Amino acid sequence: MADLVYKFLIGEEKVYPGALSCRGCGWALLVRHIASILGENTVYVVPASCYSIIAGPYGYNHVKGSTVHTVFAAAPATATGVRAALDRQGNKDANVVVLAGDGGTFDIGLQSLSGAASRGERIIYVCNNNGAYMNTGIQTSTATPYGAVTTTNPNPSYKKTWPKDLMGIVSSHNIPYAATCSLAFIQDFRRKVERAKNADGFSFLMIDGPCPPGHKTDPSQSISIARLAVETKLFPLFEVEHHRVKINYYPKKEIPVEECLKLQGRFRHLFKENATDALKTIQEQVDSNWKRLVKLEEISYQF
Amino acid sequence: MTDVKNMENAVEFKRHNPKILKGNFAAAEAAKLCKAGFIPAYPITPQTTIVEELSRKVATGEMDATYVNMDSEHSVFAAAMGAAMAGERVFTATSGQGLFYAHEVLHAIAHFRLPMVVCNVGRPSIPWNIWADQTDSLAQRDTGWIQIYTETSQEVLDTIIQGYIITETLDIPVMVVLDAFYLSHTSENVWVPEQSLVDEFLPPKQKKGVEIDGYHPKAIGGLIPPEEYETFEYAWWKDALKVEDLVNTVGKQFGEKFGRNYQAVEAININEKTEMVFVTTSTITTTVRGILNLHPEIGILKIRLMKPFPKKSVLEALKPLSDNALIVNIERNFLGGKEGALMQEMKRALYGERYFKMYDIYAGMGGKDVSPITIENMIDKVRSNPDEIIWIDFE
Ligand code: SF4
Repeated sequence: MADLVYKFLIGEEKVYPGALSCRGCGWALLVRHIASILGENTVYVVPASCYSIIAGPYGYNHVKGSTVHTVFAAAPATATGVRAALDRQGNKDANVVVLAGDGGTFDIGLQSLSGAASRGERIIYVCNNNGAYMNTGIQTSTATPYGAVTTTNPNPSYKKTWPKDLMGIVSSHNIPYAATCSLAFIQDFRRKVERAKNADGFSFLMIDGPCPPGHKTDPSQSISIARLAVETKLFPLFEVEHHRVKINYYPKKEIPVEECLKLQGRFRHLFKENATDALKTIQEQVDSNWKRLVKLEEISYQF
Repeated sequence: MTDVKNMENAVEFKRHNPKILKGNFAAAEAAKLCKAGFIPAYPITPQTTIVEELSRKVATGEMDATYVNMDSEHSVFAAAMGAAMAGERVFTATSGQGLFYAHEVLHAIAHFRLPMVVCNVGRPSIPWNIWADQTDSLAQRDTGWIQIYTETSQEVLDTIIQGYIITETLDIPVMVVLDAFYLSHTSENVWVPEQSLVDEFLPPKQKKGVEIDGYHPKAIGGLIPPEEYETFEYAWWKDALKVEDLVNTVGKQFGEKFGRNYQAVEAININEKTEMVFVTTSTITTTVRGILNLHPEIGILKIRLMKPFPKKSVLEALKPLSDNALIVNIERNFLGGKEGALMQEMKRALYGERYFKMYDIYAGMGGKDVSPITIENMIDKVRSNPDEIIWIDFE
């Protein structure tokens, strides 16, 4: 029998076995891949988030690298200090990475993020966007999708405002690299981590973060739902170099958003009778966002 | 205020250069002499000229440091925290609202046991006021920082140098407090030590093996379960108990090296005949000093180390005092309670040890001038007024 040749994406694991996340959580997979690419000379700066638990309690370290826990509102600022210190000490090869959730990115940490992006700090900012404050028990953030139910937008109501366009905000800082990533498109994701690592300045990655307890989904479906989010254009894959947009994946078929939303309990109420308007509104917004993105890509290379 | 005639007669300090500096520039000069390597900054009056001067020193190559314009004081302190975790010697400065805004991070820095020296140029909160007031820093007493209040530009410069020894010995951050304008923007004669002299006193920042360096993976600050949390607080408490002695020791060693002595407190004219002792901080001390020639019955207890409050030194300083003497605290702060910070601390320090009749005088808040006449009014008021709490020159 011929020797089996295994070809794993992750050659050498840079996280320790065991995970403190829920089953089907995006964080665990996300950090495994990032750590395998960035290596051990990496400092992860972590504001309050689910990852501050997953990273391990006092005495433990989830990654084979350094972990710095910091205050909720200022991880990019702490990363700025770490970066400056390592640079001064001659360790310019070190990666300094912020691992934050959407609350820490879209809301309380936005100013600090903007500051670090404006200054062009050599930091990789990774936002695991699962669309709510999951660590505190599923409260609405400004990343929470229209139509979703959270504990602070509870049934019979739901969130009736749109998440802010954080990719637009961040890329407007004229940074060398920003990209959206999906755990269902791992090769694309890994390529983007490489790009972020090699970017000359501030880089930003936003990952669509599966969260079974928060999204009310079956843990075994985390990846298929993430794939559907891309296929339905709820979460388009694109990257922005300075102001230039490039779409990385064009879905081959038109799939309505309901195919993705119906698998998530947080949208269950939208499928009740008399609630079809909301689905229609979401579809319209998604279509218009996509068209806008395509236009942005078109004009990106005209000047 | 410095008496020019006295200055002319003053000793000449060896290996020093005489300069005329405002308090803020003395602070910047000290940060440079201490070779602070990382300076995150955000402007706020009346601190701004400290970071402006530091940015100039860095831009012109006069100083080898990384200077970063941050997006807020919260971010300033968060960046300071990151660099200190990675073992840099950190300096920055702030005032009033900036310090209030950074409150959360002050706790984090102290709880992470990160060494650094920071200047606060005191001013109050809203309604807007940018003038001298100690409410901002005194409201941070419980964040776990060591706080030292300064009286002159010379003391600002000298205290920052001592501050780095103290903070790097105990891994507890140090806040050096200046009065807005009376000190921050007032020019005084300052003896600036030569770099080599400071280098002999303050060695380069030593790494202790706990720092983040990228090469030796480690985690700082993960969740601590209830069974273990107290062990950190206990270790810190043990070190907090050492602060007073250390401040006195470092002040004495500084005196031996530089010719100017400093202690946690300074006792002036406190003896068995003293009838009234003013407990003071910062520039008000200078004003009270100025009336002593007219009032041999008055003494001063200047508090330099405010937090942790130097109980031993206070008791020692008041030892010669007769039980009938009056203690009068001058408070340039309002903390929302009946008593100001000095009265609270003095009562706690004296409890069960000595009993004195004690008065508390609110004076000079929001920068109101506390002139020699105000001090005279205080003396009269205390002698005639039966109230424990006095608002002076107040209609
Ligand atoms: S709550 Fe969600 S994000 Fe947090 S650990 Fe669980 S699955 Fe992950």
